[in-house]
Amino acid sequence: MKKIWTGLLLLCASVAQAQLKADEVQSFTLANGMKFLVVEDFSIPNANMYLFYRVGSRNEYQGITGLSHFFEHMMFNGAKKYGPKMFDRTMEFNGGANNAYTREDVTVYTNWFPASATEVIFDLEADRISSLTIDPKVVESERGVVISERSTGLENSPYRVLFEAVQGQAFAEHPYHWPVIGYLDDMKNWKQEDLERYFKTYYAPNNCVVVMSGAVKFADVKAMAEKYLGPIPAQPAPPAVHIKEPKQTGEKRITVQKQVANPYLSIAWHTPEAKHPDYYALSLLSDLLTQGQSSRLYSLLVDQKQLATSVFARYEESFDPTLFSITATASRGVKTEDIEKEIYAALESIKKEGVTERELEKVKNAKLIEFYRQIETINGKSNNIGTYEVFFGDYKKLFDAPSLYNKVTIEDIKRVAAEYFTKPNRTVGVLAAKVDD
Amino acid sequence: MKQLFNILFLTTVLAMSATTVLQAQNFKLPAYQKFTLKNGLTVYLMEQKEVPMISVSAIFPAGAIFDGEKAGLASLTAAALQHGTASYSKQELDQQIDFIGASINSYANKEYAGLSSSFASKDMEKMLAILNEVLTAPRFDTAEFAKEKKRALIRLEQQKESPRSVIGSYFDKFLYGEHVYGNIVSGTPASVQPLSVADIRAFYASHYIPNGSAIAIAGDFDAKQMKALVTKAFAGWKKGPAVSDANAKSAIAKPSGNRVLLVNKNDARETTFYIGAPGISRNNPDYIAIDVINTLLGGRFTSMLNDELRVNSGLTYGARSSFSTLKYGGGFAISTFTATENTEAAIDKSLEVLNRLHAQGVTEESLTSAKNYVKGQFPPDFETSRQLASLMTQMFWYGFNESFINNFQANVDGLTLEKARQIIQTYFPKDKLQFILVGKSEEIKKLAEKYGPVTEVQITGEKKAF
Repeated sequence: MKKIWTGLLLLCASVAQAQLKADEVQSFTLANGMKFLVVEDFSIPNANMYLFYRVGSRNEYQGITGLSHFFEHMMFNGAKKYGPKMFDRTMEFNGGANNAYTREDVTVYTNWFPASATEVIFDLEADRISSLTIDPKVVESERGVVISERSTGLENSPYRVLFEAVQGQAFAEHPYHWPVIGYLDDMKNWKQEDLERYFKTYYAPNNCVVVMSGAVKFADVKAMAEKYLGPIPAQPAPPAVHIKEPKQTGEKRITVQKQVANPYLSIAWHTPEAKHPDYYALSLLSDLLTQGQSSRLYSLLVDQKQLATSVFARYEESFDPTLFSITATASRGVKTEDIEKEIYAALESIKKEGVTERELEKVKNAKLIEFYRQIETINGKSNNIGTYEVFFGDYKKLFDAPSLYNKVTIEDIKRVAAEYFTKPNRTVGVLAAKVDD
Repeated sequence: MKQLFNILFLTTVLAMSATTVLQAQNFKLPAYQKFTLKNGLTVYLMEQKEVPMISVSAIFPAGAIFDGEKAGLASLTAAALQHGTASYSKQELDQQIDFIGASINSYANKEYAGLSSSFASKDMEKMLAILNEVLTAPRFDTAEFAKEKKRALIRLEQQKESPRSVIGSYFDKFLYGEHVYGNIVSGTPASVQPLSVADIRAFYASHYIPNGSAIAIAGDFDAKQMKALVTKAFAGWKKGPAVSDANAKSAIAKPSGNRVLLVNKNDARETTFYIGAPGISRNNPDYIAIDVINTLLGGRFTSMLNDELRVNSGLTYGARSSFSTLKYGGGFAISTFTATENTEAAIDKSLEVLNRLHAQGVTEESLTSAKNYVKGQFPPDFETSRQLASLMTQMFWYGFNESFINNFQANVDGLTLEKARQIIQTYFPKDKLQFILVGKSEEIKKLAEKYGPVTEVQITGEKKAF
């Protein structure tokens, strides 16, 4: 409970005081297959609606790369009832704001609004999901916007340039090969019929999970969902993504040039998807390596040896097997090869000797704190509940996560380190100003 | 992503939405207590029980305006607070904090230095003891300082790889000139290089004093118990001579005409630019009204700037405007970026929009929309204990209280069309504009001259006064 209210709301307040539990997430599924997860939370007079569509760059192929993300933009450009510009204008007039993001696996639309605007939000969403307009003129202007988005990302972030190169190298066949933003030449070439087919195939109610948290009543949400979204017909299930990345059988290396002061290094290993039981041990291993200044690699590379100015590991939830990466920025005059050697030595030591009980306890404690932070806000609630539902197969896994992390043993950490952090399984990327020697 | 950044403008704005259920309710900031210890330290406490966590925000008169000739000194001093204490080496400190999943972050910005910390309620006593040591008995280890300085110097080089990371400090230098508000928080390679532990010890001794500082704690605790703990923990912190901010109060020279600062980046493929002017101080009585008008100009997705430069023309991924407010002054800037070949079109369209704001003003409908938006988007900005702790230290620094929050909705609603017209006239610039362009000089220098006399510098060079 964040604000002091008088009267009626004080009653709600005492309910909201308790921390979020799994059974406070209420659920229903419309006849057309659209699933809703709802958390009543009256701590602020606001609510949100997060729509998770199971479509991302993973569903693309060469020739239409970047289309999922482009489609995310087109969803704001007008439908039958609310024409061009009217989605945003109507939402903002009613005190709401929105954004959206596209990843390899999902496209997520986020609406944040005063609870009084809930019905308007349903009307807006229903309009664009049922009858989006794809106006060729608007397509052209929006193409410029996403090309600018791509360009400004590459202009301002050496990491982005490096990650795209490493991911493209590590995945030779699976669609994780190309960047979510797409190839520039595909971006210039998306066709009207691609967009229309995409809409029909993926923007179906049965391909979407909706999460709402905030000052709304479950019964009201359900009534509005039935009224506004219920009439939208279901579509045949989208085609399955059948490509599996073949096992990598030897180290891959790639170098890219950009005008940078000191080189950047990123090493990535193929690792499993979110539903795999090893997810939890790998996620803890990621924290053991780079979370906080007492972590193994920060203290070794940045603090003691001063070979790098920053180091971080990245291992995110995904539908298909993904990458676990470690990325470092070299200190002045340091060769990336020297950083590489130290990272491999640190991993070998974990494979052989494991980690200490205290280290493992440390990262488990941090996971619990992270969990609290995730459910502290209504937006954190919706985003995490939806993410667990679509990536882990069940929103309840969000609430199981602290205990699943707790079950991980030192032996598990040693085992996953030995299994995945091998030379043939890795891709090494270097970004530097000088690449010709 | 649809948008690059959630468009946030003025940072400490509060509102309540006019919902059908809630509109009759009287919105107030949660209850908090404020008291002052004998040594002058101001303390704020607010109970918040949603999760079993506690957030701390502390604020000190130790920002970059006090750097003098040693740009970067305030920033490095703040960072060095975490280099160990009387009882713990840096490594021991990191281990203690990490083990319980806690966090401590110390930083300096333009006017003040701050420390924020977050931890589980059960670790309250342990963390208060650690925070007290970090603030009152830092070790300032020579070896750790050398490492920190080396990293800071490398970061300064790395920032030059990203126009977005450097354009703000060029703007401040250009706008504020020799005034201390032009000081660059992170310093420059030439100013950071000679800094020593002796410098930061001296800076610490004169600027990290309890009188003139505040600590705010929000979260899951019992206020009575917390009051006793805090009083005991910080009682031994010695008072010092008050820090004078006379240099910040001194007059800021106003620009006398259009000027262009062109920052050449040889490998740039786009131009990142600001079009700016003097703005307002945080305590301006029209603060909220200005926020509402800026929302229309460049503070949200459907704003005039984003609509023209992104939605209508596809020139950029995003265009916005914002006021940055300080205690005794501030700046206003339109900001966006575009492919090198579209530079002129994007600048012209930005100016066109600014002119349109003056020529056509706002309508009843657009004003209503902006008011609804500002009110509707407010509550999530003050939802967590971290946000609330930070709000309380802002109240301390800028000298406002809960009336700002509690009267916010009424103040927004009170903005009439006539008042809106005055606000535009008074606070939104028309001429004497300051342009900062970061891009490939070879291709944009000629067109830059159209907007005013051009000063050209290299992104690889030092930032000095212009």
